[in-house]
Amino acid sequence: MSVAFALSILVAVATVTYVSRAGMILFLADRTLPEPVMRALRNVGPAVLAALTITLVAGGEGAGGIERAEIAALFAGGVVGAWTRNLTWALVAGMAALWLTLGLG
Amino acid sequence: MPTPWSDPIVRVAFRDALPLLVPPIPFGLTLGVVMKTSALPLGVAWLSTPLVFAGAAQLAMVTLAATATWLTLVATCTVINARHVMYSAALAPRFADQPRWFRWLAPLFLVDQVFALTDAAPHAGDELRRYYRGLVLAFFPMWVTAVTAGIALGDLLPAAWRLDVAPAVMFCGMVVLAVRSRIGGPTPAAVAAIVAVGVTLLTLEAPNNLGLLIGALAGVVAGFAADRSPS
Repeated sequence: MSVAFALSILVAVATVTYVSRAGMILFLADRTLPEPVMRALRNVGPAVLAALTITLVAGGEGAGGIERAEIAALFAGGVVGAWTRNLTWALVAGMAALWLTLGLG
Repeated sequence: MPTPWSDPIVRVAFRDALPLLVPPIPFGLTLGVVMKTSALPLGVAWLSTPLVFAGAAQLAMVTLAATATWLTLVATCTVINARHVMYSAALAPRFADQPRWFRWLAPLFLVDQVFALTDAAPHAGDELRRYYRGLVLAFFPMWVTAVTAGIALGDLLPAAWRLDVAPAVMFCGMVVLAVRSRIGGPTPAAVAAIVAVGVTLLTLEAPNNLGLLIGALAGVVAGFAADRSPS
């Protein structure tokens, strides 16, 4: 990947991040977004993060790219995350499950 | 010479920030490690730390760079950032009487933790600006240091550890946390996440990771339809 192309990605992501953070503060002042919009926005995080999780474990190889150990890692990470509400413990549990499953073959 | 620390409100901000400063460190370290193997040149990937300053968007950008097109990647980061629109809308009334320079500058640093603390803080006017400055002085150096340390650490970690799986585990953990903490009850968010997983699995063969956006959109629509909470 060329540096110029990578920089164009960086500038675009930095810009959309800034706009999403600044937009309402700069232009909404003391008005609020319509209730249905706020309601829909609340589901965007869980939906896109879930879709991203699946895309990453597939690694561009379709459903066949998902390994058994990766499923174990996601399951353990999800359960421990729900239990502790702590991302660090979710990561530790997920990686431990991954290593255990890989080790067992 | 007066330093930021001689301001009692900056010190209050620091005290409030302290318990929230440690949890993002493993995230930052992991992000730094992943940057080493990204399709993005390392320098550009690192620059996202001060310039984007958003863990989830940075992690998506760094990991998707190998497989997604420019448009899919930027669209995904835009969607990931949607929660910031909520933060921005929630803080807008508090910032309405702030000077123009502050309203333009402050959003650069509006990460989840800064939002949560600012939203809960009682300050207004000049005190709000000083409190916010304290938060930025706490979170910004922590994040840059953690990511940079992760990059340095990346060389020392063996490939057998399969840290390439770590981002997916992180995102999975973020899903669960987002579902559990959703305002108005977890059910619509859980429906959104489950439908997103199903539709993404069905559309994995779509070119350019488009399945990711189709799955996310299907999840948002399903979550909206499942939402029975009173407005």
